Amino acid sequence: MHRRSKGWCTSSKHSETSCGSCEFPISSGAFTVSPRRVECYLWRGREVDAMGQKRKPVAAESSVLPVEPARKRSLLRRLDSGNEAENGAEKSPRWRNKEKVLILCSRRITFRFRHLMMDMTGLLPHSKRDVKVQCKDNKAATLNELVDLKGCTSCLLFECRKKKDLYMWLSKGPAGPSAKFLVSGVHTMAELKLTGNHLKGSRPILTFSSDFDDAPHLQILKELLIQVYTTPKDHRKSKPFFDHVLAFSVVDNHIWFRNYQISAAKPGTEKLDKIDKAHLENMTLIEVGPRFCLNPIKIFGGSFGGQTLYENPFYVSPNITRSLEKKKKTSKYVKKIKAKQRRKTHVGANQVEPDELAHVFDEDGE
Amino acid sequence: MADLEESDYSGSESEEEEESSSEEEHERPLKEPRKDAVYDTNGMHEKLEDIGWPDDLDWIQTCVITSPKSENQVDVNDDLVREMAFYTQALEGAKEAYLKLQELGIPFLRPSDYYAEMIKTDSHMLKIKDKLLHEKSKLEETDERRKAREAKKYSKEVQAEKLKERAKRKKQDIESVKKWRKVRQKSGHEGDDVAPPIDFEDRSGKSNGARRGRGGHGRGDRPSMNRESRDAKYGNGGRKHGSKRNDANSSADDSSFRGKGRGRGRGGGRGRGKRPRMRRM
Repeated sequence: MHRRSKGWCTSSKHSETSCGSCEFPISSGAFTVSPRRVECYLWRGREVDAMGQKRKPVAAESSVLPVEPARKRSLLRRLDSGNEAENGAEKSPRWRNKEKVLILCSRRITFRFRHLMMDMTGLLPHSKRDVKVQCKDNKAATLNELVDLKGCTSCLLFECRKKKDLYMWLSKGPAGPSAKFLVSGVHTMAELKLTGNHLKGSRPILTFSSDFDDAPHLQILKELLIQVYTTPKDHRKSKPFFDHVLAFSVVDNHIWFRNYQISAAKPGTEKLDKIDKAHLENMTLIEVGPRFCLNPIKIFGGSFGGQTLYENPFYVSPNITRSLEKKKKTSKYVKKIKAKQRRKTHVGANQVEPDELAHVFDEDGE
Repeated sequence: MADLEESDYSGSESEEEEESSSEEEHERPLKEPRKDAVYDTNGMHEKLEDIGWPDDLDWIQTCVITSPKSENQVDVNDDLVREMAFYTQALEGAKEAYLKLQELGIPFLRPSDYYAEMIKTDSHMLKIKDKLLHEKSKLEETDERRKAREAKKYSKEVQAEKLKERAKRKKQDIESVKKWRKVRQKSGHEGDDVAPPIDFEDRSGKSNGARRGRGGHGRGDRPSMNRESRDAKYGNGGRKHGSKRNDANSSADDSSFRGKGRGRGRGGGRGRGKRPRMRRM
């Protein structure tokens, strides 16, 4: 009924604590929901709040939705409803972000793309580098093994093809989903136009545009990006200050990445945990780089392969665009030849009859 | 498959368009969405649940800010607008994050005496600084050049004004002398000892200057630049042996080469006329 409707149900239908039309509770006893988070969407039968983090499955397939407390998850598995009471009290107090990202690239990568990869390594203190891999065939087996060997939970693979096209793989763990992007508009940190600078290893503030909560495939990409790009709190290589901000936004079905330095307060202010309003208002950003644009191609169920969950219907391989471009050039010549032939046949078919009056004056002269 | 049919991307309008002509389809494949693209909503949601972090995480763990929905659509091809949208998104996010951090009481501003490794090296930052300075100086230089050009234009006008003034004055002087002569004749050459009403002292300096100006070189009694360069080239005193030969240095030296546009203003047409005469001397 309600959950089969296309899109999400508007938040106006929702009361403070439950969705009026579908009787679905937004907050269960386990955790409270701040008013800001009440703005809830129902996307194809699943509740998703504005932060994109609270996802509660609708349990049964029956048309009348039962009122069921949301299931809770630990990091590894969904907890059974029987244990919920005791776990609710714990509220996962000692959850630790143990994300480790393996960053590597394929063979025959060009310098620019390699620099981009090195910039990524600089940005992510919780990353590990590995040597170039030859990953044309059985990519999944090779890379999953590598990720496992290195003790990482996710992988960022830069794959260069034909020395022109850069593909980026974003993959989670041994089982998690993976996404493949075509990277374009690459600017590395080495460029002198990008004048900002920030501490190496300071934790970034991630900003996402609201478009990420609009569609399931963007939600999953957001989750992947969050997990890879947040530096774990209290990571030993991280620094305790916040001086840069990453911006992910969706424009034209592409994900755009920017990295800015925050320059807010004057140096010399002693208080490190306070910023006055004037300084906050005068805050400016300076771009540090790198910048690039990701065109999602596919999302797979497994790591580096598996069932395809999403395919970008707008994606056209750069090979095809190039060949079309070439064809366009050749077609110009072909058209010219064709036009010539057409003219020839036309002239041949429609012979001009000899004009009777053509020699009238000539005869007169004689 | 039911999801696929529901999805927004496989509209029924596009199907008809695609069938219309095969040539058109080839021309613009970039705009048309594919019809058979997979869109597994349930699968994606399940995966999202599998990998998702616990719901009740503290904000400080992720530091994620989702910007509120904005009404205006961003045009991708307009670079400035697009970058501005990213910038504002990041800026608003950073402000919000700072306020949150302030509430939490976590230090987030870097103290001035905290030195640590930066993401860009000092040498790289020096390069950036050099580039910025270079750009600035370049800008200033062009500004100066433009100013000089304008001043030149202005000075021309001033010069014309001056000449006019001088002619007028000369006329006046002559007039006054005539008048004085008339007056003297009338009075029967009385008061011969009275000086004419023109201050010759005053004019002498000026006329001298004018004469020098008419000489054409504007450099006093020194030989012309042409003469100098010719002396340097063809020799005027000193040992001449071998000095006219080309060598590596001379062939690399292009100071004698003048661009087409540059030389005209300075040399004037007169220079060309003079040249053969000087050679004959």
